[in-house]
Amino acid sequence: MKSKKRKSACFVGTILLLIGLFLVSVNIGSIKASPVELFRGIFIAYDQNVSAIFDLRFPRILIAMFGGAAIAVSGVLLQAVMKNPLADPGIIGISSGASLTAVLLTAFFPSLFFYTPLFAFIGGMVAFLLVYGLSWKEGLSPVRIILVGVAVNTMFTGIMNAINSGTGSTNSGVASIVNGNITMKTWNDFYLLAVYTILGLCVTIFLSEKCNLMALEDKTAASLGIHVNRNRILVSVVAVLLAAISTAVIGPISFLGLIVPHISRILVGSNHKVLIPYTMLLGAVVFLFADTIGRVIAQPYEISASIIMAVVGGPFFIILLKRSGKNYGK
Amino acid sequence: MGNNIFRVKNLSFSYGKHLVLNHVDLEIKEGNITTLIGANGCGKSTLFHLMTRSLNPQQGSIMLGNEKIFDMKLKTFAKKVAIVHQYNTAPDDLSVEKLVSYGRIPHQKLGKRLDPKAEEEKIRWAMEITDTWKYKEKLVSELSGGQKQRVWIALALAQDTKILFLDEPTTYLDIRYQIQILKLIKKLNREYNITIIMVLHDINQSIYYSDEIIAMKEGRIVAKGCPQTIIDTKLIKEIYGVELEQIRLEQRSFVIPV
Repeated sequence: MKSKKRKSACFVGTILLLIGLFLVSVNIGSIKASPVELFRGIFIAYDQNVSAIFDLRFPRILIAMFGGAAIAVSGVLLQAVMKNPLADPGIIGISSGASLTAVLLTAFFPSLFFYTPLFAFIGGMVAFLLVYGLSWKEGLSPVRIILVGVAVNTMFTGIMNAINSGTGSTNSGVASIVNGNITMKTWNDFYLLAVYTILGLCVTIFLSEKCNLMALEDKTAASLGIHVNRNRILVSVVAVLLAAISTAVIGPISFLGLIVPHISRILVGSNHKVLIPYTMLLGAVVFLFADTIGRVIAQPYEISASIIMAVVGGPFFIILLKRSGKNYGK
Repeated sequence: MGNNIFRVKNLSFSYGKHLVLNHVDLEIKEGNITTLIGANGCGKSTLFHLMTRSLNPQQGSIMLGNEKIFDMKLKTFAKKVAIVHQYNTAPDDLSVEKLVSYGRIPHQKLGKRLDPKAEEEKIRWAMEITDTWKYKEKLVSELSGGQKQRVWIALALAQDTKILFLDEPTTYLDIRYQIQILKLIKKLNREYNITIIMVLHDINQSIYYSDEIIAMKEGRIVAKGCPQTIIDTKLIKEIYGVELEQIRLEQRSFVIPV
């Protein structure tokens, strides 16, 4: 068990990092504002610069933070449910299932915009059930989950790209979901994300003990009077909800739900009561960092955060796959 | 000897078309150490899993006292019956004490606080009797096979039940740890009056440590009773299909497994 001191240090450090990153991110671009000016401009007196920053950059930054937190926590939950450290909503196709239905809705029924999260959730759930059902063969084999997930993911991504190309790539709403682009996000997008994410993350806190017990063998948990399958369904639904909502707003992001929980486990241990809140924080930091890097690395052009995540996450995933052979080589 | 605590009636179970348990009737006495033996695939594990509710029966019933076990709430069952399964895993960074404390889960109620001192007592008792209290700060992953097995037994004991099931508790252990575990089981039975029902592979250990043996073959019970009287060359030949010599040592009979 990691010492309490170390855990607290991790929390404080990560919170400071998040605040610092926020302030840096706010000031990237042609308009600048110091923290004091920001505070004055938002809470005390109107300031033209601050107002522009507030409308253009704040939604994007907050979306990156909330979305990152949601996807990372979704990863933790899926890893607990599937007893597989390699489960990730992006890799196993939940995100692409969710974005596919979001794309369908945006392309063909744009008036139903506000129901996007609902449809994204349905899409995510379909993908999840497909992967879970198809990889079940006398228990879940970690490798089979990944293989089936890759297939499901590729198929959904393919259909999605087909719709994007088939509509002449002219529908910017569709394109932004397909590309995982959060450049042009507004406060409305943020509200949509925030409502469901905050709800989902709050529920998650109550699931931490259930997640801890899922680490035991199913039979052993059942012998303690725990309804293993009921818990599994509950945790899965919340995981899919978190992944689907964030996907509906920011598009499918790969590897975030894999990397962040993994680093978090190294830093604060595998007790979900600590792991889940910490993963939220670190998820926000990592995704905001990816977005910020994407904004500066190729100025004046921007590289989307999902691309940054894919490029950095790929090698990381391979390292994990090699390492995990020791513990999960079944 | 005590009353019948478990009553199995007309129990059948099949995997697909393959009938694993064939209309089994069985009674298990309170206060005994009862051991299920038989060759691989004879149905003893299936019977064990049905009696511990890991599987649902397709036909027949199992009664615990006056209640059908499959009508009981899972939690109620967990307050009466503790089970040590053959294969177990725990997170790498879980401490021994934390793991054993999970044994109190069946007794916890939502919104009701249990006396923390009494709870701690129970956990401590379970750990002291299994001689794992000295490892309480350690991580489960740091322990040896024999130590781990004692921790899993401690987890079951923390449930504070009068009935304990063990599925091949000595498998994967060397002889020193096997004896340690079996002596512990005997002590739990004799000193704390816990009814023990287990599956064992070793015939001689079954003879030595059990009050009653249930021998199975092809989904049926072929013999049941005191090990000294029922185990002989003929029965061994019937259930395992091998001819083994039998010797007597200090009024006890053993088979030579070579």
